[in-house]
Amino acid sequence: MEGSLSLGSGARGRGPVLRRRFGELVIRLALALYALVTLYPLIWLFLSAFKTNDEFHSKPFGLPGQWSFDNFGRAWEVSAMGTSIVNSLLVTVLALVLTLVFGALAAFALARFEFRLKGFWMGLFLLGMLIPVHSTLVPLFILMKKTNLLDTYAALVLPYAAFELPLAVFVIAAFLTSIPKEIEEAALIDGTGYWGIFLRMMLPLSLPALSTVAILGFLRFWNDFAFALVFISKPALKTVPLSLSVFATGYSTDYKLTMAALSIAVLPTILAFLLFQEQIMKGMTAGAVKG
Amino acid sequence: MTAAVRARGFITVALFPAVLLFAFFVIVPVFWSAYYGFFDWKGIGAAKYIGFDNYAEVLQDQIFWLAFKNNMIVVAASVFGQVPIALLLALVLTKSTLFQRFVRASVFMPMVLSSVVIGIIWGYIYHPQIGILNFVLERTGLEHWKMQWLSDPKISMYSLTVPIIWNYIGPYMLMFIAALQNISPEIDDAARIDGVGPARKLISVKLPMIWDTVKVAVVLCISGSLKAFDLIYVMTGGGPAHSTELLASYMYNNTFNVFRFGYGSAVSTAIIVLSLVLIAGSQFLMKRDYR
Repeated sequence: MEGSLSLGSGARGRGPVLRRRFGELVIRLALALYALVTLYPLIWLFLSAFKTNDEFHSKPFGLPGQWSFDNFGRAWEVSAMGTSIVNSLLVTVLALVLTLVFGALAAFALARFEFRLKGFWMGLFLLGMLIPVHSTLVPLFILMKKTNLLDTYAALVLPYAAFELPLAVFVIAAFLTSIPKEIEEAALIDGTGYWGIFLRMMLPLSLPALSTVAILGFLRFWNDFAFALVFISKPALKTVPLSLSVFATGYSTDYKLTMAALSIAVLPTILAFLLFQEQIMKGMTAGAVKG
Repeated sequence: MTAAVRARGFITVALFPAVLLFAFFVIVPVFWSAYYGFFDWKGIGAAKYIGFDNYAEVLQDQIFWLAFKNNMIVVAASVFGQVPIALLLALVLTKSTLFQRFVRASVFMPMVLSSVVIGIIWGYIYHPQIGILNFVLERTGLEHWKMQWLSDPKISMYSLTVPIIWNYIGPYMLMFIAALQNISPEIDDAARIDGVGPARKLISVKLPMIWDTVKVAVVLCISGSLKAFDLIYVMTGGGPAHSTELLASYMYNNTFNVFRFGYGSAVSTAIIVLSLVLIAGSQFLMKRDYR
């Protein structure tokens, strides 16, 4: 926009235009460099996964001499990746279902109805956003120990969903508030009950908000470490980040295996990111603005 | 059954599951940890009521305050590292060309990775013998800059702020881009007609208009400083000699390594209180209008 304006007032001469072009080029180069530096640890991760341990530190910046795919197979076995991926998937999906169903219902009630304690419940959910997750580890551990929840899928699913609910409620409620009231009134007059309105109108209409919540939840649940560390000790129930953490100590000297295991583990989230980029970025902003 | 009663019934049913789950796993634990703080308890056997002893000990515990100081270093690194970098990036990335979208995606990418993965990658980057950081320093003739990045207590905490900054710039950048795009074009035009230069426009027009977003960013930096727990746990475990201890890792170590559940609970409570105080304080400091 600025460029076209200065071209329009061309009487000023070419100097400023050229200088702006040059400035833009410098900014572009700087940005490209910044992007490269940011991405480099990831590039390095993937390249290292194909190397030998020796190559890993003798030529950390080079390409692998021979692309050895065996690393991935071995890493898969050593970290019991199959089991962890199944566990992570199960826990993530269950927690997502809870978050979406409970979150959408609560958001619908809070966004479309007027009632006495509405402000109180909204405030309660808002407060939940300010409570640091890690400070609840000890009381939750004790609570779960007493209710025999430790070392079950529920030990992860329930707190995941509970901590994601504030964000879900705020994002979905914000979306639902923008739908005109008349639609609902018309449906009520036609004899549709509240459940009908919720299921057949509000849910389909709020699909963009729901998918934002789902993607953010997926990233959060799939990547969680703290809850899994404290609530899960059975190897058969370990999630992906938990299995990876053994590489921080146990196998830390077998670099190629570690890097291969990490590569396998980050692939799903990177693919999800590439596929749903716009939605994820929009969702992050939506989430942040509500904070 | 009247319409009002039916509506009230629906609201209750819709709100109940979310409120129950949320209250049980997020709100109630806060009070539980405050309560357990009054006990001397090893996790098994009888808990002994000891009044305010744990809380008094927390206040005099030098390691607790060291951990608090380290948390503040993380907050400072986030507020003065992430926010300005994110703002700078946002200012030059407001357009949606392919190139700009690529840079945005790159900056955002670390956000989708598990902190365990990030911890291990950066652990390798910093590794004194095999790490690429020392490798680069050696090859470029800066050998005397080679350091024990994570095991030298004098610098380890500062080393850790780099991956933290790298990790979380993305969402702040997106928030700022969204805020900048919300500034109406008329204001931009008006400023240009008045002959306002770019720097002046930034300080007098743009910054005041996105000040609310900056405030949100600072709140998120404060509450986010506690999320660094996973990274610290994987990279240093809080050591050496507590030099990278954060409040969350200190709470974790006290509870699950030393088995002082009562004391860990007291530390948890202190974390909640401190973070609420910090958030309230930062809001108060930035309350006066930006001019």
